[in-house]
Amino acid sequence: MKFVIEHLSKSYNGRQVLKDIDFAFEEGKIYGLLGRNGAGKTTLFNCLNGDLRTDGGSFYFEDGTGRRDAAPEDIGYVLSMPTVPEFMTAREFLKFFMDIHEVKEPKPLDEYFARMSIAPEDRDKLLKDYSHGMKNKMQMLIHIIAEPNLLLLDEPLTSLDVVVAEEMKGLLRSLKAGRITVFSTHIMDLALDLCDEIVLLSHGVLEKVDKSDLDRKEFKERILEALREEDHA
Amino acid sequence: MLKTLRLSFALRNTYRVNAILYAVKQMPLLGRVIPGTVYQIRGFKIFANVVSVLWEIVSAFLGKYLYFLLMIGGALSLYGLPGEAAGQAFLHMLVFLSLAGMVLNTYMFNPTKDKYYAMILLGMDARGYTLVNFFYAVLKVLAGFALCALLFGLPLGCALWQCLLIPFFVAGLKLLMAAYALRDYERRKRVRNENNPTGPFWVFVALCLAAAYGLPFLDACLPAEASAAFLCAGILLGLLSLRRILTFPDYRLMYKELLAGAPLVTVQMGSEATAKVQREQSLKNISADSSITSGRKGFEYLNELFIRRHRKILWRSAKRIALAELAAAAGCLAAFRFVPEFRAGINELLVTSLPYFVFIMYFLNRGAGFTAALFMNCDHSLLTYPFYKKPGFILKLFQIRLREIVKVNLLPGAVMGAGLALLLFASGGTDSPLDYWILFMSVVSMSIFFSVHYLTLYYLLQPYNAGTELKSGTYKVITMATYLASWAMIQVKLPILLFGLLMIAFCILYCIAACLLVYRFAPKTFRLRM
Repeated sequence: MKFVIEHLSKSYNGRQVLKDIDFAFEEGKIYGLLGRNGAGKTTLFNCLNGDLRTDGGSFYFEDGTGRRDAAPEDIGYVLSMPTVPEFMTAREFLKFFMDIHEVKEPKPLDEYFARMSIAPEDRDKLLKDYSHGMKNKMQMLIHIIAEPNLLLLDEPLTSLDVVVAEEMKGLLRSLKAGRITVFSTHIMDLALDLCDEIVLLSHGVLEKVDKSDLDRKEFKERILEALREEDHA
Repeated sequence: MLKTLRLSFALRNTYRVNAILYAVKQMPLLGRVIPGTVYQIRGFKIFANVVSVLWEIVSAFLGKYLYFLLMIGGALSLYGLPGEAAGQAFLHMLVFLSLAGMVLNTYMFNPTKDKYYAMILLGMDARGYTLVNFFYAVLKVLAGFALCALLFGLPLGCALWQCLLIPFFVAGLKLLMAAYALRDYERRKRVRNENNPTGPFWVFVALCLAAAYGLPFLDACLPAEASAAFLCAGILLGLLSLRRILTFPDYRLMYKELLAGAPLVTVQMGSEATAKVQREQSLKNISADSSITSGRKGFEYLNELFIRRHRKILWRSAKRIALAELAAAAGCLAAFRFVPEFRAGINELLVTSLPYFVFIMYFLNRGAGFTAALFMNCDHSLLTYPFYKKPGFILKLFQIRLREIVKVNLLPGAVMGAGLALLLFASGGTDSPLDYWILFMSVVSMSIFFSVHYLTLYYLLQPYNAGTELKSGTYKVITMATYLASWAMIQVKLPILLFGLLMIAFCILYCIAACLLVYRFAPKTFRLRM
């Protein structure tokens, strides 16, 4: 399975943020999306998630049987600021989700919580009383059960403590099979650690950074150089 | 002082100009034509500056003029008092209304955005800024009230000296209240937000209003001499209050507290701080009662938990309004007994002016608050999940919410309808018994109409952005048009039967049209604004 973007463009107030983007993401890989502040990473995610209308272009899934347009349930979008319905407890939110979502092989709710290391005493707490990291875990849990074909993560590990961040990294690695994961971050070491491919969003276009024979330091230098070019554009 | 005044003006003018340009940019069709660089274009900036300066001048007089026209002139015309009695009632009402206004509007304890920008963001000297702007506001009061007092008072037979004392009396009361609140802060470290008065203040305001409008009914206006004594006392107390206002040492600290949690200010911050403060406020509305559960499934489960955990904010005001309506009906019934002329007036009002109640129902309807709560505490988070945006699910939840919003608004609507039917009967009734049912049903229809209207707007325009700010210009224009249309209904005079049937038919047609529009468009429009 591939997720293909063709001629995607988006402008704000006369400034073209995304310029005729053509790119294909492949199944089973984690893509690290890097770009300067204001490069358009969140705009790209919002367009792909259907939250922003594009000016032109298309995106679709392609597999052995042909191509099809992306439906809402194909895409999971994890925001850096986790959003959960805070008037519900974690268990109520999960129950509600399981009620309305067809899960192939449903398990007892506690099994899902255990998988995300959400302690039994926290499962019946209102989500408004959850910490940032715990909310993040809950948000991820819903997306994991939903099993989207494309998982977009907008700086999801920012402001998590080291333990939760490591847990989330492990989780993302374990989830990558069978889906496409695109992960935007400003932390280059994290991108190099976690991602199979590095993609730059620079001058409004997506560009894969060729790793070929470079060691980690040289690869980092190449990425930095490419990002610095944005200043001279 | 002059420098502070100049800086305050410049600051207020800057954000007002930017707000005007932003509002123009948000207009449904105009906004598309105007470029994104509008803030840099000289012509647009000059236009906005002219509007801003005109607004400053007009606001000093227009608000006061409308106040005199509606609150005093309108009431006097209803009473139909003859010459000298009218002048006496004018002074009487003005005294008591000014006492009520004293606790509701001092300027100093209104947590406005200009104060936030100047004292918190820009770190201007709080004392200097407060005093300069407070006295400027008092000057505006003096100018506006002087003109209106002469304009309205002299034709009613008030003496020139009485009219000239009025602005100083009103200003004196504002000084008095400000000094009292400063003293309260010094003693109890409790800062007062005049937009959020506590119980005793509401009781005081209610008593003042009852005295202002109730006593003239009973032919018990303050004698002109007593009104004059009130005017002089207000001025004297105002002068005595000056000392505390001028010497109060903790303006900065006080405003930090006042501005920290004020919703009006947080809406204007336009940053992560806004979201944070609003978030904290909305979280406080969620009940922590662990006994709240639901035995339902799916969206009914979600809805029941939401309604039960937000019962306080969703139902509290509806219940209060219903209680106030009951009290008003009881008051009218009592007045029928003691003032027979009142009975005839109410009967005529109900028989010919049912459209007037459209405007009242507009104000009583909780639709806007209901949809705001839905967004802040539910949809804001769930709209980021793909499953929540499936067309079938959006429509299912719309149906459930339509039922709930109608239920919440039906309580004050039904009480109002039943109360008016009762008043119609007790005031002499009509020739047709059908009128009672039509009266009740048309008020209920108004309530349903406004409920459907606000929920439909919410689903078709989803006016909030991810930072929980209301961003849709179209939404603002339509809500303003709703207000104007409701206000225009005041002028319509129609018999109960005709207007009632028209209202019921309109409500049914509107509900059908709104549901069709939501079914057609909401799956595309009910999204987070980015």
